[in-house]
Amino acid sequence: MMDFRPILQIVGLILAAMALAMLVPAAVDYLSDDLDWRVFVASSLVTGFVALGLILGTRTGAREQLSIRQAFVLTTAIWVAAAVAGAVPFAFSALKISITDAFFESMSGLTTTGSTVLSGLDSMPHGILLWRSILHWLGGIGIIVMAVAILPILRIGGMQLFKMESSDKTEKIRPRISQVAGGITTAYVGFTVVCGVLLWLAGMTPFEAVNHAMATLSTGGFSTSDASVGHFKSPLVDWIIILFMTIGGTSFVLFITPWKRKRWAILDDSQVRWYLGFLGFFALLLALWQWAVNDWSVHDSVRHALFNVVSVVTTTGFASTDYSLWGGFPQVVFFILTFIGGCTGSTAGGIKVFRWEVLFAMAGVHLKRLMHPHGIFVIDFNKRRISDQVVDSVLGFMVLYFLSFAVLALLLTMTGLDTVTALTGAATAISNVGPGLGDVIGPAGNFQPLPDSAKWLCAFGMLLGRLELFTVLVLFTRSFWRE
Amino acid sequence: MSVIDVRPVLFINGYLLLVLAGAMLVPAAVDFAYEDRDWRAFAAGAMATAFAALGLIFGARPDGVIDFGLRQAFLLTTSAWVLVSGFSSIPFLMADLDIGLADAVFEATSGITTTGATVLVGLDAMPRGILLWRALLHWLGGIGIIVMAVAILPMLRIGGMQLFRMESSDKTEKVKPRVTQVATGIATVYLSMTVLAVAALWLAGMTFFDAVCYAFSAVATGGFAPHDASGGFHESPLIEWLLTVFMFAGGITFILFITPWKRGEWAILSDSQVRWYILFLLFFASVVALWQWAAGGMAPHDAVRHATFNVVSVVTTTGFASTDYNAWGGLPLVVFFVLSFIGGCTGSTSGGVKIFRWEVLFGMAGVHLKRLIHPHGIFVIDFNRRRISEQVVKSVLGFVIIYFLTFAVLALLLTMTGVDFVTAVTGAASTLSSVGPGLGDIIGPAGSYQPLPDAAKWLCSAGMLLGRLELFTVFVLFTRAFWRG
Repeated sequence: MMDFRPILQIVGLILAAMALAMLVPAAVDYLSDDLDWRVFVASSLVTGFVALGLILGTRTGAREQLSIRQAFVLTTAIWVAAAVAGAVPFAFSALKISITDAFFESMSGLTTTGSTVLSGLDSMPHGILLWRSILHWLGGIGIIVMAVAILPILRIGGMQLFKMESSDKTEKIRPRISQVAGGITTAYVGFTVVCGVLLWLAGMTPFEAVNHAMATLSTGGFSTSDASVGHFKSPLVDWIIILFMTIGGTSFVLFITPWKRKRWAILDDSQVRWYLGFLGFFALLLALWQWAVNDWSVHDSVRHALFNVVSVVTTTGFASTDYSLWGGFPQVVFFILTFIGGCTGSTAGGIKVFRWEVLFAMAGVHLKRLMHPHGIFVIDFNKRRISDQVVDSVLGFMVLYFLSFAVLALLLTMTGLDTVTALTGAATAISNVGPGLGDVIGPAGNFQPLPDSAKWLCAFGMLLGRLELFTVLVLFTRSFWRE
Repeated sequence: MSVIDVRPVLFINGYLLLVLAGAMLVPAAVDFAYEDRDWRAFAAGAMATAFAALGLIFGARPDGVIDFGLRQAFLLTTSAWVLVSGFSSIPFLMADLDIGLADAVFEATSGITTTGATVLVGLDAMPRGILLWRALLHWLGGIGIIVMAVAILPMLRIGGMQLFRMESSDKTEKVKPRVTQVATGIATVYLSMTVLAVAALWLAGMTFFDAVCYAFSAVATGGFAPHDASGGFHESPLIEWLLTVFMFAGGITFILFITPWKRGEWAILSDSQVRWYILFLLFFASVVALWQWAAGGMAPHDAVRHATFNVVSVVTTTGFASTDYNAWGGLPLVVFFVLSFIGGCTGSTSGGVKIFRWEVLFGMAGVHLKRLIHPHGIFVIDFNRRRISEQVVKSVLGFVIIYFLTFAVLALLLTMTGVDFVTAVTGAASTLSSVGPGLGDIIGPAGSYQPLPDAAKWLCSAGMLLGRLELFTVFVLFTRAFWRG
């Protein structure tokens, strides 16, 4: 039998952090004389009590190390518990939304998806808006730490490539979190501050600037306006957000030591190169299309194409304009881009660029092997040879990703959704992008009209995608619990 | 061997074209007997094809014994399908149909790859020669596919097909399999199954001509019907069930029919691929039947019949429709879309990814989950009670992934021609898997590919060939290593 006490204890610590975070919107609402501040204080108290109960109730004498199986349970448990805690303020607030909606909004926030069930954002109390951004921001840092410290050890879909050297020798989980996490947090906070200040200088109110900075760096996508970033009608704002979304989709570890052996480590990294090349290619393609087919001006086509391509590839989900009106070709491009994702160790979701890199290398090797059945071919990543194990993991991950997508889409249609909403909703949830395509959940719509069962399914899809599938699915296998 | 010796390739192509020319004489005779002027189109087509064939045979006759290497086998497979598609479009072009080159090639490719996507409407009033020619193309394509899957693809190691290599050919890299024995067996089975289908459909109330057309189309899992209403034309449950049975048979590995009874067991039922195939069909047919009964308000018997018919039709990549399932709404639509990727068993006439690859894929996913918990454990994947090598698993994975990438690229290119989202996505899936109809108002089971722009038709034709040749056979021709030797 697994020892759940260390797991519950860490969950308790995370909840305590959430309880503290709730005091921020409480303070903001109190200062702007909004009655919602009581909701946040009450939620904070409830969460705090549960957190204390967990921490004190599961205290064990010795400092224990987590086994692999405990790490799996812990990862999933943290995200579920944090999402439940994050839903409390939504459920109690003056929004009058159901438990389903509250949980959906909270899960969408924490997984940095950015799908929303709320409309009329422009006139909403500041506390709620701020809470959504804080969920994004906390989720974002949580994701990076998870991707750097935990997933490589669990060997999720080729992530063993990114294992830190020190943790290579043991199967116990005790990485050098403190050092790396410190560096990453500094970079994350630093970028958020810079982004906020720039947005403020570009003409946003301080409140809007803070919210958008948090949602941008975490590649989340919640905005303070129903029209998303298109609300500001400011090219400058668009360009700033493009820049910081791109940063949010880059491996954060690279920012800790950006300058190595007299070279920019960031530009040297093959994943980042692919990522930038990829963004450039598709932005150019769509800009050309918008310019040639839809007769937009050059600057508008380039800006809107780049903004929305970056937004979807980094799985942010901001929209500078309603791109579902761009016609057939851009729609399919955006649908396909949903599956790409940013770099590993970033706040972006999706399949991730390095897996596509391995995949393409693999396809090349395949064709060569058809010609030379006994030839030996190797796949490189960042100038290091990749083992067969890693290639297998990556392929297995992708296959499972598309299977999960297909199953989720099927289940969504069973709740009565139309084909386009179901397909793009499943893709957008599992890749943590945010908006789908079509009239209901497109960039100009929201998830409010969906039936409750569809919202639960989407929320589950977000969790599944965020935890890179295997972390969750392994809990449903018999051999996991059998010992 | 730096430059490929293309003479043997052209030589064999010549023989295939000669067979095609012979086949064109059949609709010519039928049209002549019914006094339709289209017989001239077929006669002229046969002459042109025969001339080209003889030219190839005599012009490229290799001296001495034919030495056939791996690269020639790749080249032959692709060139044979392209040439045959091209030449079989001649009758469509010359007949009284008033269609352009893109349409004619589309229809011919769709026929020979047993896809069943059509650009022709008003089939009920068409001369018999054309209808028979479409059915004949399916039938010839069907046998060609089986032979290719049994004799050639395993040798070329396409997407895990090395699993199905015949033992004798294991030792050498030269392509010279025991084609004759196995091919004769398969041809016998194919022929007798077709005869059986014709007889059964005829007895069930079809005219003899209809019975022949439907039988050719069902056994080859093609999907061309001599009526616009496809499988639903006769409004006879008996006929629909019979078609279901023969489509189902067409999706089973044909080699298993040669020795159906081995060691006191039905070889067919003990084959793991066939078991998966049957279970799979049953599962989805019952899901859709339940849905149609509970949510769509169909009578139980109608729900079961229509669900089974259309699920079998899509999974075996036939493409008959007993009713317009595009009107069934949400869940069935996504089910049919997902099903169009499945495909039947290997070595059958069906297209798609094929059941055995899904089997390997699921085995692989299970192993993966186990390995997460026990990083140093050793797990193996079985297929038909034999262990599968790592190489095969990788080939399969590579295939499936390239399949979906190709699908995505094809869908993208289709939208660039101005086709709407649903038509582009389902059209790409449908042609790549050689199913036939897509979803939506244009290319759905009640529509046709006629309204698509020419560029989209060429893309779809290319997609059909790619899917039929299992991708790699074609893609390898575009690599530098192939031509460099």
